[in-house]
Amino acid sequence: MPRKIVIIGANAAGVDAASAARKTDRTAEITLINKEKHSGYSRCGLPFVIGGHIPNFNNLIVFPPSFYQMMKLNLKTETTATNINPTNKTIDTTDKTGNTETIPYDSLILAIGAYSFIPPIKGREKQAVYSLRTIEDGQQIDQAIRNGARNAAVIGAGLIGLETAIALKERGVNTTVIELLPQVLPVMLDKEMAKLVHEMLEQKGLRIIVGKGVDEILGAEKVVAISVAGEQIPVDTVVVATGVRANTELATNTGIATGETRAIKTNARMETNIKDIYAAGDCAESINIITKKPVCPQLGTVAVRHAKVAGINAAGGYALFIGALGSAVTQFFDTQIGVTGLTEFFARREGMETVAGTITSKTRADYYPDAKPIKVKLIVEKESQRIIGGQIIAGEDTTQRINALSFAMQKQMTIRELAKADTAYAPPLNETWEPMVLAAEVALRKLR
Amino acid sequence: MVKVNDTEVPEGLYYTKDYEWVKIEDSKARIGVTDYAQKQLREIVYAELPAQGDTITQNEPFGTVESVKAVSDLIAPLSGTIEQVNTEVQNRPELLNEDPYGKGWLLVITPSNMDELKNIMDYAQAVEWHKSL
Repeated sequence: MPRKIVIIGANAAGVDAASAARKTDRTAEITLINKEKHSGYSRCGLPFVIGGHIPNFNNLIVFPPSFYQMMKLNLKTETTATNINPTNKTIDTTDKTGNTETIPYDSLILAIGAYSFIPPIKGREKQAVYSLRTIEDGQQIDQAIRNGARNAAVIGAGLIGLETAIALKERGVNTTVIELLPQVLPVMLDKEMAKLVHEMLEQKGLRIIVGKGVDEILGAEKVVAISVAGEQIPVDTVVVATGVRANTELATNTGIATGETRAIKTNARMETNIKDIYAAGDCAESINIITKKPVCPQLGTVAVRHAKVAGINAAGGYALFIGALGSAVTQFFDTQIGVTGLTEFFARREGMETVAGTITSKTRADYYPDAKPIKVKLIVEKESQRIIGGQIIAGEDTTQRINALSFAMQKQMTIRELAKADTAYAPPLNETWEPMVLAAEVALRKLR
Repeated sequence: MVKVNDTEVPEGLYYTKDYEWVKIEDSKARIGVTDYAQKQLREIVYAELPAQGDTITQNEPFGTVESVKAVSDLIAPLSGTIEQVNTEVQNRPELLNEDPYGKGWLLVITPSNMDELKNIMDYAQAVEWHKSL
């Protein structure tokens, strides 16, 4: 009898889990259940379609229907899993026409994702209040712009909020971003680094309000304004981007445990507290490599790494998830921003004593045309002298530096070792002294 | 050669619905994976092939090709005895992406029953089938 693997969810985590499972077990019957119409698409690309950098939402579909056919994956779209029965090892589903089905499994993978969390702001139910999670959400925002949206408010200055605000601005919509916390990118950057991003965004014509909340979304049926700390800002479109929360209802109804991040608790094999049920992606918790505490980074890279581990284990193989650092990058206009590990703020909140080294340099030899600015901040834990975080704001080449810092942290590199690192150089590509090395030297001085 | 939805389908070959092609070379048959298959699989990282002298049976798996994100069983388009195995693709699996109908060939076999060609698609049928994909 071939092994029956059922995967609930068919985007980053679901499809990658299916792929890993198929590679591990060529004969398994693999079924994917997706409540959405579209499967296997990149949510991360949505703001860039709205901004006009990618021509069409369909371009985001990484795995077309032919992929499932070729991989012999049974994909059921617009079908919702309503119940898990771990005793009989079955799940119940309902499709869009209301047909129900009970599907048996030997292994089950929950890749049920997360939902956009909309805080209880008065007026949030009005027309033209959007969030951005699915292709349909993206299409609605795109349609609002086509229908003549002029003034927009984006609530939340995290990654999605700012990427969406920039997309709106690029489409000619006057956009105001409102962030309750006192800085932009509060999870990613320390205050002084965030200030640079804030100023750059203002220079590009966005209005950014930090440290204030939205009191109310005003309008009869459709939005006409928002009220922020007593100020009325006229807007015709609102996008709420105040973060996502793990979908857990299906799991908790079955007795699957959630952790302190409110996401599904997993062990190193991505298995939940119920045998043969795994979780992966935005719905699942992982361990932060530095703090060793549960985190739920809800990033695409974490989702696919979770999924590979869950897929292999669900198919009878053996794989472990080693933890997450929360490495993330993005591009705002022509500035690239990257982070890995802990911010200084977060490390101190965890009780760690830190020093930081920050350097401003160029991405190419100073004399080379088009050299762009780069700012690197490294955070070091005082006693071990290990690097525990990095933040980079630069005109180019941010991603691979963040990756290098991430590798260094995974190998528990000390700041002294990084200050002696062997690096490459050519004038059109970088400076003689690598900015990360210079930042390490700055941090080292503070440890003397 | 025609292009169907951006996929190359060369004339003069036979095709299977398991995404393989067969080229009859006198009494022998050369076997490979189609352009459609390599495009679906994307960066191919590994090809597991049987050995020279082994026999394969029509519609039975004889090996696998694995890419970064996918894996596909290789299903024998015809029955026969393996005369040659393309060891080059085992060392350089990217040949399957770069030149699926040329340097990316997989096996040369001596078919045990040429009548089995009736069970697979000729060029015209393959063009129609590719349109439906």
